[in-house]
Amino acid sequence: MSADLQNRAAQAVEMAKAAGADDAWATASQGRDVEFEFRDGSLEKVKDTTSRSLDIQIYADDRYSNHQTTDLSPDRLEGFIAEAVAITRALEPDEHRQLTPAELFSGRPTDDLDLVDSAVADISRDQRLAWCESLDRVATDHERVISATAGVYDGTLNSASASSNGFVGSHAQTYCWYGSNITLRDEGEKRASGGWYAGGQHVDALPAPSDVARIGLDRALARLGSEKGPTVKTAMLVDAQAAGSLIGRLLRPATARSVQQGQSFWTDLVGTRAFSEKLTIVDDPLIPRGFGSRHFDSEGISARYLPIVENGVVRNLYVDTYYGRKAGMKPTTGSASNRVIGLGDHTLAALLKEVGNGVYVTSWLGGNADSTTGDFSLGLRGHMIENGKIGRPVGEMNVTGNLKDLFSQLELVGNDVHPYSQTLSPSLVFGGVDFSGA
Amino acid sequence: MAIKRREFLGHMALGSAVLTMPAFLQGCGVQNATAVSQATPENPFMTWFGVDQATAARVMSELTARGADASDLYFQHSRSNSLRLEDGIVSSASSGIQQGVGLRVVIGEQTGYAFTEDLTMPSMLAAARTASAIASGSAVAAPQAFNPQGTGDLYTTTVPWSDVGIDQKLPVLKFVEEKAKAMDPAIDKVAVYWSDADERVMIATLDGKLVTDHRPMTRLTVVVTAKRDGEVQTGYSNIAAREEFDWYSEERILTMVKEAVDRTMIQFEAIRPPAGEMPVILASGASGILLHEAIGHGMEADFNRKGTSIYSDMIGKKVAEPFVTVVDQASIPRERGALNYDDEGNKAGRTVMVENGILKSYLHDQISAKQYGLGPTGSGRRQSYKYSPMPRMSCTFMEDGPHTKEEIIAAVDHGIICETYTNGQVQIGAGDYTFYVKNGWLVEKGKITAPIKDVNIIGNGPESLKRITMVANDARLDTGGWTCGKNGQSVPVSQGIPTVLVSNMTVGGENVS
Repeated sequence: MSADLQNRAAQAVEMAKAAGADDAWATASQGRDVEFEFRDGSLEKVKDTTSRSLDIQIYADDRYSNHQTTDLSPDRLEGFIAEAVAITRALEPDEHRQLTPAELFSGRPTDDLDLVDSAVADISRDQRLAWCESLDRVATDHERVISATAGVYDGTLNSASASSNGFVGSHAQTYCWYGSNITLRDEGEKRASGGWYAGGQHVDALPAPSDVARIGLDRALARLGSEKGPTVKTAMLVDAQAAGSLIGRLLRPATARSVQQGQSFWTDLVGTRAFSEKLTIVDDPLIPRGFGSRHFDSEGISARYLPIVENGVVRNLYVDTYYGRKAGMKPTTGSASNRVIGLGDHTLAALLKEVGNGVYVTSWLGGNADSTTGDFSLGLRGHMIENGKIGRPVGEMNVTGNLKDLFSQLELVGNDVHPYSQTLSPSLVFGGVDFSGA
Repeated sequence: MAIKRREFLGHMALGSAVLTMPAFLQGCGVQNATAVSQATPENPFMTWFGVDQATAARVMSELTARGADASDLYFQHSRSNSLRLEDGIVSSASSGIQQGVGLRVVIGEQTGYAFTEDLTMPSMLAAARTASAIASGSAVAAPQAFNPQGTGDLYTTTVPWSDVGIDQKLPVLKFVEEKAKAMDPAIDKVAVYWSDADERVMIATLDGKLVTDHRPMTRLTVVVTAKRDGEVQTGYSNIAAREEFDWYSEERILTMVKEAVDRTMIQFEAIRPPAGEMPVILASGASGILLHEAIGHGMEADFNRKGTSIYSDMIGKKVAEPFVTVVDQASIPRERGALNYDDEGNKAGRTVMVENGILKSYLHDQISAKQYGLGPTGSGRRQSYKYSPMPRMSCTFMEDGPHTKEEIIAAVDHGIICETYTNGQVQIGAGDYTFYVKNGWLVEKGKITAPIKDVNIIGNGPESLKRITMVANDARLDTGGWTCGKNGQSVPVSQGIPTVLVSNMTVGGENVS
């Protein structure tokens, strides 16, 4: 598999050179994906697919373009690549567009990342059905259930890249996820819903389907009787899963591209204490079985441990080669791997106790942030925190502020990491946050 | 790999749906784009792959060998091109070809699905066997020949995008940049993004239909960054349609550029409104996002047949004032959400979801239509051959009402006007929905007093419908390029609305006491 893909990538680079490109970078990918969806006692959908594609980046006369096709028949592929070179020549020259320098390929780690489980390819139809039935049983046993959909998703992804300046590399990983979404009868026409999924590269590391479904059911049950929360300035405890997406919003403009384009509140922050000293974020590509683990990034830059924020001090940004050159910044990597948030020593129960009274956020609903200014406003669902305990469920509320200010108001960090994500975050507590509701 | 992951996360977000503007506005980088030579033939399947009637019939026969109530072959060839101007130069182009066939078997509420990108007989037969594995009955008779349906005329073009070279497009990007920079000395950077696509689909169905549709699409976006006294603000605008090159008139482009500059410069003055509940005026056009989130998704019949939507038991009931009529209509020429046929091969048309305040009809695909004993509404859509279809919106709008915009503003003592948006989302079961307001205005004692920015608004679908107390007579569709995401599939949509007053919504804001 890997050798086939590697050949396909190398051939595409050759075709591009033959068509007149100065340099080229090609990636050939192939994947198998299987989906089983099971609703209210019977199988509802089975999807079983094998897909493939070729991506190629062309450099010609200081010009650049990139192209993707799923049509790999050799004669048409040659035409496609020749056309790609012609397109490139029709653009304007840009001295900053260059293939990744070969020195950035050196020092590629060889750690065993353990991203492939050969058992995934052997998961049987009966196994998937048994998981579905087990997930389904937990949910449909509850008297308030209107509908429950269980899902099993598994597959394999292989890719290989080659470049005209000597890059050769491949990546393979398997995945297997399962869980369920549950809808319960609430007051009037309202439905309360919730769900939970667990997943990973390895089948044997997954929790039992019944345990996964139980969490999903509990999350749906917790929404029953939800009411609109208050308009109030108070503490915000964000649970570990929701915290991951908040960290994602914080980091979105932490790139050379955003800074160079004048669209980032991270501009001029490197080397300064920009956030609470409780905040530490590291990009770590070498975690065994990590969802974002890799030996090299999409430009071929060798993977390395990259501190982004250490005790509130900004250390590095995500810098790719193009915007790095434009902005005069040394390349790190243009794309995140595993984003690891430094842990505190509080359990969730201890955080609730410390907060005393406030709002506990369990999921976001919509909202956005302005990357340039950091201004944000997000819809949320969760619970009131009353006397150090999880209280009544609330929704139909917004939280509004500025991301840079918010992460300066980070007061406590938990030790309860949400494991099923590329962003490994615990629960976070922020002080003095503006909520709008009733 | 990043794409795989996002697709997967989409699956897990069941029961929730999102509406967004282009991803690069959220800092993700732009995908796809360009053009020249290698013109795609009008029917690439016949011309390139020899997929004639007999081949389609043979594959269909294999697909239905274990039984089927319905089945279809969805052939697709899509060629997309994009260009990017940053820092004064057009130094990046992308192009993409997506080609394949999706094979689907439906039995009752069960679906078997497979696709292949290798359009040879052995690959297609193998995919057909995979998809048919969900069934366990006996073979049904597949048609020996398919009956070609008339081609639609909602977005016929004289020059396909494959015949438009970069030399023609490049000056457009340069023009946008030049005009944007000239509009205000504070403008520091201008980025321009172009995209066009020619998509051709051919759908063969078990009941013998053969549908072909050529679906063009284009979008132009400008992002403006301005600096004043050390402060930086970013704003943008875009226009999108199923159109061809000639559509980009100087006037149309200048209107877009001025919008982007105005939206950027006003942010230097704009404030966050006070937080809490207040009357909200939705300006005409893009505010159709309210309909998309507050009612549109909840009316998609897949949620209702499963009983998971808050609207599941509300057909025939009064849900709004008599002057509220909400429609989903694919048959609006050249709109981004327009479709001649849906992706199950049914003629796409007009569905009245709310008529004079009464909840009338869901949006159906074949599975839900059959379950409800109704004809399909032509609302079965899919992102590509890689996905099975489900009920989706096309162009969603509210018809004119009896009031005027001036009357509506005069009626508000303390509230806001929402004008431009970046995204929205809904939670289908509880009915809670949100949308993010990028620009708007504060209204005090019936007068517009100050610009506002960056607030999320949250409400409950059925409650908000009841609270629409005034509807003006200035309905229009938004010209922006909206994309709707549901269960991991993205499709282009349009939306529109007249100026309306919602008497009470929850506005994100600051200065909480």
